[in-house]
Amino acid sequence: MESRILQLIAALRASGVRVSLAESAEAFAAVNLMGVQDREFFRLSLRATLIKDARDIPTFDKLFPLFFGAGGPLPLNNVSEDLTPEEASMLAEAMRQLAERLRGQLQRLMDGKPLSREELEQLANLVGLNNIEDLRYQNWMAQRMERALSFPEVRDALEELMQALAQMGMDRQRLEQMRDLIQQNMQGMRQQLSQFAGERIAENLSSQPRDEGVDGLMNRPFKALSDGEKKTLQREVRRLAAALRTRIALRQKRAKTGQLDAKATLRANLKHQSVPLEIRHRDRTRKPKIVVICDVSTSMRFCSELMLSFLFALQGQVRKTHAFAFIDHLEYISDEFTGTDGNAAVSHVLRRLPSGHYNTDLGHALHNFVDEFLDTLNGQTTLIIVGDGRNNYNDPRIDLFNLMSRRAARTVWLNPEPPDMWGSGDSDMRQYAPLCGAVFKVGNLNELTAAVNDMLAG
Amino acid sequence: MAENIFQSVPELKKALSGQQYISSDEIATITFLANNLGKPLLAEGPAGVGKTELAKALAGATGRELIRLQCYEGLDETKALYEWEYAKQLLYTQLLRDKLNDALSKAESLSQAADRLAAEEDVFFSTRFLLQRPLLRAILSDQPVVLLIDEIDRADAEFEAFLLEILSDFQVSVPELGTLAAKHRPFVILTSNNTRELSEALKRRCLYLFIDYPTLEEELAVVHLKVPALNEKLAREAVDFVQRLRRADLRKSPSISETLDWAHALVALNAQNLDQPTLEQTLSVLLKHETDLAKVKRQMSHPPSRPRYPDELNRFSGN
Repeated sequence: MESRILQLIAALRASGVRVSLAESAEAFAAVNLMGVQDREFFRLSLRATLIKDARDIPTFDKLFPLFFGAGGPLPLNNVSEDLTPEEASMLAEAMRQLAERLRGQLQRLMDGKPLSREELEQLANLVGLNNIEDLRYQNWMAQRMERALSFPEVRDALEELMQALAQMGMDRQRLEQMRDLIQQNMQGMRQQLSQFAGERIAENLSSQPRDEGVDGLMNRPFKALSDGEKKTLQREVRRLAAALRTRIALRQKRAKTGQLDAKATLRANLKHQSVPLEIRHRDRTRKPKIVVICDVSTSMRFCSELMLSFLFALQGQVRKTHAFAFIDHLEYISDEFTGTDGNAAVSHVLRRLPSGHYNTDLGHALHNFVDEFLDTLNGQTTLIIVGDGRNNYNDPRIDLFNLMSRRAARTVWLNPEPPDMWGSGDSDMRQYAPLCGAVFKVGNLNELTAAVNDMLAG
Repeated sequence: MAENIFQSVPELKKALSGQQYISSDEIATITFLANNLGKPLLAEGPAGVGKTELAKALAGATGRELIRLQCYEGLDETKALYEWEYAKQLLYTQLLRDKLNDALSKAESLSQAADRLAAEEDVFFSTRFLLQRPLLRAILSDQPVVLLIDEIDRADAEFEAFLLEILSDFQVSVPELGTLAAKHRPFVILTSNNTRELSEALKRRCLYLFIDYPTLEEELAVVHLKVPALNEKLAREAVDFVQRLRRADLRKSPSISETLDWAHALVALNAQNLDQPTLEQTLSVLLKHETDLAKVKRQMSHPPSRPRYPDELNRFSGN
């Protein structure tokens, strides 16, 4: 049982659920307490201790029955059990007429004998089940095993058999009844195969070595990432956003120029018999404020997903974040970024701003911003622009950008293009760059990390 | 260790229903586990499904005091844990000045005076001047208590980190006094509305309970229990209606507490069935957004063949 639980935990980890050592220890404590007799208690004990995120519950619900079966295969029926002697001999006669290859299979269905462990193992070897490490292949694998058992042929043969029996003059109703029972048997066997395939894949998952970490991915450009790698990176991005938040908060905390804080001053000076030697100020700028404007046009599409996840994580960390996205005009997207499901929020934004139909127009987006949202910028705000500065030969509105960067405490530009591409073609980056406090080239996560660190240091 | 009041899950369930709280097997089992393992319970789920109510019912069922800490943005340790009572300290210093002079005047040398003063110093940094906030109160309580940390997702991320010591070791550190350990382990329930991701460290220390909207039968049972005056048929219709509303695409789905408010309203209006006028009158109890209200009303009145169920009407509203 213990090793089975450990396997489940390993499979959870392999499916992207974070389970710490403390949590797995906790799971064993819970199982000790609740026992394993009641399946529901057992399931809940494991779930409450291992799963700490509502989004991971479906993964758990999918894996749990694969490790702790759904109560064994269905009971199969013996079709020939309650036949009269004449009917039985008729059946035997009809069966003899069928090809030898199918007989074994049919007999099995007739007798309602489930597949044995060895047979299953053989099938698994045959279809290559032991190399599969993705649950999405469960149905496919089950189908392949059915085919290896020549299910389709058996089904045809069954029809023939039925017809033969009918010709021999077996009662129609009895025939129907038999057909139903055999169908059920077939269904049962199919479930057994599917369950076995699922179990085996889950076991493969749990024995899979843990992923090799993010280091290798850090230097990969955003363009060349698979979905799984993007997920890993999103986790990294979240960590990055947390770091950014903490550092900004610290930096602003130290800048103490606010009002006198009477309470804190009293408290600090108790040791001086309340003679106010140390003056404490209210740190009014403790909360960092961030305004981010993100380009999601076609030229940026390859990295906008990751950048938006970065914005999402940032907003989770810094309450006073205003996020905007634009292609030809500006949209306020902070409303979408509430809640905890980053992927859903990001894809929602990308759906709302479909690429391809518009021409990028940062100038117009800036105009929108100045018209409606200029009051979000003030002396405490860090303004971050994410984009390649490619404007489709529209008016770059440098004047507006200048106004904005002067209002904000700090202006940072994250650009996926290297500096020597700036100014080429429709890029207006050379005009924007001098107005920014800093411009970073962000083409992979390492560079994003470096940019964030630089942002913090400066 | 936590005192285990409940020996089995059914017992806990019964005690909760004695407090007019109907718990699903899931809620009862996980609560039982948390109680017996001495772990904090993190309850997550949409607003108004009875997360806070669970803590109250549990306090009632165990006869323990409920200490509640409502989280909000900017909550810090002086409001959550403790604060020194400066005014009182100052007052005492003034009033006791004579006594201090007495004690010090007999001193022959400066260092002796300093020693004497040092001996008295503890008077001013004792629990006497400590203003206990909810967390400290829960830790220092002579009786075991239920500590409810409500809507933790509203507090800042720093505050989460600050909670870790309390959640894992049930102790707090006050620099002037040292570490104060709990006399009785409080039963801690944290609730979250899922508005932001909580830190891994916090989640790791808790057992996790996700409370979703109840099924029709569960919700019906709650309505029966809390609003017995509503007749059976109407209650079923009303709950059915609410469940359908939840499936529709609304800005804010009605919660259980809103179902109950609505049930009360129906009783007060002496409604006999859910006809159009009754619905129009009372719908604002269920739906709190102008746009939601307008949407549902429009759908109710538009295709008149099926006036009642907004989600079925969604199919027609493709314009």
